Amino acid sequence: MSELKLKGVNVVDTFAEAFPMVGTRIIITAPTLEWALIAARTMTGFATSVIAAGAEAGIERTLSPDETLDGRPGVAVLIFTMDTNKLQIQLRNRVGQCVLTSPGSACFAGLEGEKKLKLGASLRFFGDGWQMSKKIGGRRFWRIPVMDGEFVCEATTGLTKKAVGGGNLLVLGKSHAAVLSACERAVRAIDAVPEVITPFPGGIVRSGSKVGSKYKGQIASTNDAYCPTLKAAVKTALPLDVEAVLEIVIDGLTKESIAKAMHAGMHAIADGGAEQGITHITAGNYGGNLGPHHFHLKEIIA
Amino acid sequence: MSALTFELKGKPDQRLDLSPLTPAKLKDLKAKEIESLAVGTTRMKLTVGDAFNVKGNGAGSLRFVGTDGRCDKIGAGLTEGEIVVEGDSGAYLGASMKGGKIEVKGSSGVLAGASMSGGTIVIDGDAGERAAGIAVGETLGMRGGQLTIKGNAGPLLGERIRRGFVIVGGNAGDYAGGRMVAGTILFKRGVGRYAGFGLRRGSLIFVEAPKELLPTFCDCGVMEFDYLRLLDRWLRSTGEHVGLGLGDRARRFMGDMAALGKGEMLVIA
Repeated sequence: MSELKLKGVNVVDTFAEAFPMVGTRIIITAPTLEWALIAARTMTGFATSVIAAGAEAGIERTLSPDETLDGRPGVAVLIFTMDTNKLQIQLRNRVGQCVLTSPGSACFAGLEGEKKLKLGASLRFFGDGWQMSKKIGGRRFWRIPVMDGEFVCEATTGLTKKAVGGGNLLVLGKSHAAVLSACERAVRAIDAVPEVITPFPGGIVRSGSKVGSKYKGQIASTNDAYCPTLKAAVKTALPLDVEAVLEIVIDGLTKESIAKAMHAGMHAIADGGAEQGITHITAGNYGGNLGPHHFHLKEIIA
Repeated sequence: MSALTFELKGKPDQRLDLSPLTPAKLKDLKAKEIESLAVGTTRMKLTVGDAFNVKGNGAGSLRFVGTDGRCDKIGAGLTEGEIVVEGDSGAYLGASMKGGKIEVKGSSGVLAGASMSGGTIVIDGDAGERAAGIAVGETLGMRGGQLTIKGNAGPLLGERIRRGFVIVGGNAGDYAGGRMVAGTILFKRGVGRYAGFGLRRGSLIFVEAPKELLPTFCDCGVMEFDYLRLLDRWLRSTGEHVGLGLGDRARRFMGDMAALGKGEMLVIA
């Protein structure tokens, strides 16, 4: 492992390998911020990895009443998939099942873009003929009658094909508590970066995967090189004194935003990390042949 | 860039058809060619040069000065650019326009914004009957864009609107929003009789409750509308309607039950 250190924590000379994704942002508003968050959390639940969750989604940030179209508290949600069709289906299902159903909610586009995804334009059919279309300031909204009044939903939202998924950091340390605490700090720091989300539980993933498996039909399996219990049996990447490894996965609307998020995360991990027992920060890649975006850690910390 | 200015020389002895004077039609013409355009409507030939003093340059922005109610079709068929009218306008102001902006400092005659499909018209004074209504030969009224009447509007405002947004600052006459297909009209003051006659879809929003309501409109009660919040914030953002205060509660009447009945009146509560 390399000589590069950040506040006493070794930074391995490697890179995070990331993939192009398609993504969009929507804005959810509600009578209170708490209810906007409930709708957003419900919509982005079970959206950790495209491997089996269909989409990767998360809360980007909360919005004050001044920042939303209807002057109510809101939440910006980012959602990513590997292609446009899947994104359209995921968006329709998640907004339809989780936002339309949430008390007092409304849903608006959060991204401009020449290409559009249907939002209210497909959910309007729930109105069974009683829905009304309204154009305000050049933007089309659907008013769909529901039991607590009306669900107001913008007809479309913009789409970006320049999104990037799979930016990541691996944190190695001498105790589970130290690694978890360092990762929590990193997730909080990344929360402040615009245009990114960390889709896993609390932003952190403990079951990093490798491609393929010994079992037929299993497309991903445990990343044995980083499993501390297997150090003796596999070609391990871990020093003997490392007890636990956690990973932070970052999806963003642009590759620049991922780099900023990784930068913020690395510095947050290193802040007091060495004293706690954090030994290394590294990143996951597949040798560089699978994903076009390479985030070299030594460039990121600069 | 100074605006190309048309100053009316005196009261014309016939009605004028000013539809040739739009930025798109004038942009490739020389001053002489502009002055020789025909604007008369009778057998007596009348050109721009006969009726107006033409000053300035830059056809992207036009200014009419001293016009009166005989100056018809100002900005009719407008697609781009801006027209400012410092005076009154005759009939068909901005009729069938598709884009651009028209501002009238005075009042306008009948059929202002008739069958328009885009762009904005702002009339500081009053508008005659059938504003945003049906232009001759058309089957629908306004199909898009925005018409703001700061003064009073005559009868049959917004007849058979299909899409678009109309705001009336003063009082509107009888049959406002008659036979509307869709779209939105916001009334800041009162309306005459038979508002929403034959309304199919679309919204009539009243800041003041109308004095008379057709019996074919049915009450849904008072409730919150996030749509009103959206509309209110957008109106404030345009800067022209500060202090309107639509709020977020309204009484909803559905109708016209003698027609399709999927339209609404929202009376701000």
